[in-house]
Amino acid sequence: MPQDGPQAGPRRAAPWCRLLGAFLAAALLSACDGPQSVLVPAGEDASQIDRLFRVMLVGAIVLWLGMNGLFYFITRRYTGAISRRRAEAVILGGGVALPVVVITALLVWGLSIMPDQRAPGDGLRVRIVGEQFWWRVEYWPEGAEAPVVSANELRLPVGQRSEILLDSADVIHAFWIPALGGKMDMIPGRTNRMTLAPTEAGTFRGACTEFCGLSHALMALNAVTLEEPDFDAWLAAEAGPARAAEGPGRDLFFREGCGACHALRGTPAQGAVGPDLTHLGSRTSLASGILPMTAEALAGWIRDPQAAKPGAEMPAYDHLTEDELATLAAWLEGLE
Amino acid sequence: MTRLLRTLVAIAVLAGLVGAAVVFFGLYNTSARSGHWQATNWVLHTTFRNSVRLRAPKAADAPPLTGDMAELGARHYDTACRMCHAAPGAEASATIERMVPVPPPVARAVAHWEPPQLHWIVHEGVKMSGMPGWPAERADEVWAVVAFLDRVPGMTEADYAALTARPGPPPETAEEAAFAYCASCHGTEGRPGNAAIPRLDILGADYLARAVEDYRSGRRPSGIMQQALSVVPEEVLPAVLARFAAVPPVGAAAEPGPGADRGAALARAETGNPEVPACVACHGPVPEGLPAPPPGVPRIAGQSPDYLESQLRLWRDGWRGGGPRAGLMRQAAQGLNDDQIADLADWFASLDPAPR
Repeated sequence: MPQDGPQAGPRRAAPWCRLLGAFLAAALLSACDGPQSVLVPAGEDASQIDRLFRVMLVGAIVLWLGMNGLFYFITRRYTGAISRRRAEAVILGGGVALPVVVITALLVWGLSIMPDQRAPGDGLRVRIVGEQFWWRVEYWPEGAEAPVVSANELRLPVGQRSEILLDSADVIHAFWIPALGGKMDMIPGRTNRMTLAPTEAGTFRGACTEFCGLSHALMALNAVTLEEPDFDAWLAAEAGPARAAEGPGRDLFFREGCGACHALRGTPAQGAVGPDLTHLGSRTSLASGILPMTAEALAGWIRDPQAAKPGAEMPAYDHLTEDELATLAAWLEGLE
Repeated sequence: MTRLLRTLVAIAVLAGLVGAAVVFFGLYNTSARSGHWQATNWVLHTTFRNSVRLRAPKAADAPPLTGDMAELGARHYDTACRMCHAAPGAEASATIERMVPVPPPVARAVAHWEPPQLHWIVHEGVKMSGMPGWPAERADEVWAVVAFLDRVPGMTEADYAALTARPGPPPETAEEAAFAYCASCHGTEGRPGNAAIPRLDILGADYLARAVEDYRSGRRPSGIMQQALSVVPEEVLPAVLARFAAVPPVGAAAEPGPGADRGAALARAETGNPEVPACVACHGPVPEGLPAPPPGVPRIAGQSPDYLESQLRLWRDGWRGGGPRAGLMRQAAQGLNDDQIADLADWFASLDPAPR
């Protein structure tokens, strides 16, 4: 009979119970990882916040253990009387002096690293405007006179501190990419400034973190960090005109008036209402972080945006046939 | 106390029985031959007058009542209201004269009322008098009829006849009659020469058919067009529309208005305004090398400015529907303010219509 069988002993948990426990622990811990975790920092600012969090966590554990140890000792172990002098020393020392020292130290440290989160950038500025429910993104490389306009995805160079200017077009949003840095509000009529310095190349996820309307929970974005040469190459490509191939897809795009709201640089489509689509196909997600960048997802989105994102301003193109939608979607996916 | 209560209950039961007898045994004489008692007349009419005074819109809400509006209003009056209220200076038929209450001849009907009050009466109608409400919930086009009513005092029968004349020789067939009827507003060439009425020569056959269907179904509410289409026989309509669709579009509707430049920049998305989509992307003029707009989208280059303005307001305020692309236009008009609407109308009206 196996030792840990059901009859192994009344005090041992049943195997299914232990399995369930292990599964739950794994499930909980898995939330610590992933592209949107504050516990796996990939930027200087996030690392600093992470360090602060860990120091405070360890300190809190030590204090908790100390307090409860003392409590246990005084109620269960130590039975003798305690002198008034010693009692006063414990109360003043543990209740006044210790918190003052610990909290002051944490405050000084916390305040001293706050300016780092807004340290001057190395050159690149990115202006991000929150809209219900997507992100307008403009890249201003050092010395640039006009921005490189994109949307719904943020790309940043590794090893450089980039300046992020945050604005809103309608209501209060908040911008947060947990793996790269802290969170900041986007307030209509006011530009908030922060900086981010990624330390690792990868794809991370950010989200709107201030309730902004019906599809607040569906307002996300991917942040792609690239090594500097890769970033420079990407930005040069992004600045170029759209590769809008001739054909039925292009005809549909213009015939249906998509250019009324969306811009394709280098073509007559100059709309400024919705996201710029110049290099749509090269983005890692569709509809600001909620759909994969595939022709099927594009077709579904164009047919009925409300189904994927209630409250989105884009109207439904459900008068197009499935063939037309597929043609248009394939053409859009090709805008790399 | 109990006695008083008993008496009251007995009276109530008796009154109920009498009332039931009137309803179920036909004791009340509903004959219109004798009319109402003087006292009843006074109560009904006083109630009506005070009801209108209480509910009419404010004078400040009235738009300027232009001559073009009066012309359109006169033609609507001719087909919808004349039957009861007669042409100015004329008399209604002997049968109408026996209605209870008798519809007052138009000159007497409009006397003592201000334009906002007339607007309320025409839009809402008058219960228990035979005066119907406007066929559509939308109230803006009622002002055209008010503009006409405003000019009724002093109008002769000849003035009225000139206002409502049908173009062309006397029609011989139903189709010719229907065409003449439509053309009395829209013009025989589809060009009405009236800013309150849309021109049809710039629109294609598909779009005209679509619009007629939308008016009929109520997706496009319009008391004027719903009335007009209800008096045109359905079987001759395709032929009438084909005649309008066949005329080549000629000439802009108006000289560039004061807002034309601003309108052009807005319509072409040159202002970077993040609220207003580029009108030209769907409605043209389309840049060289791009496909023409689909037939379901109306051409608006050269359209009447007043009509464009009123339609844009309807789209923005949620009154206007239409074909399968109506959702696009409703969304597109959301960000427009009144000034931008006027600018856009100024510009589009000044354009030469695109060849179809």
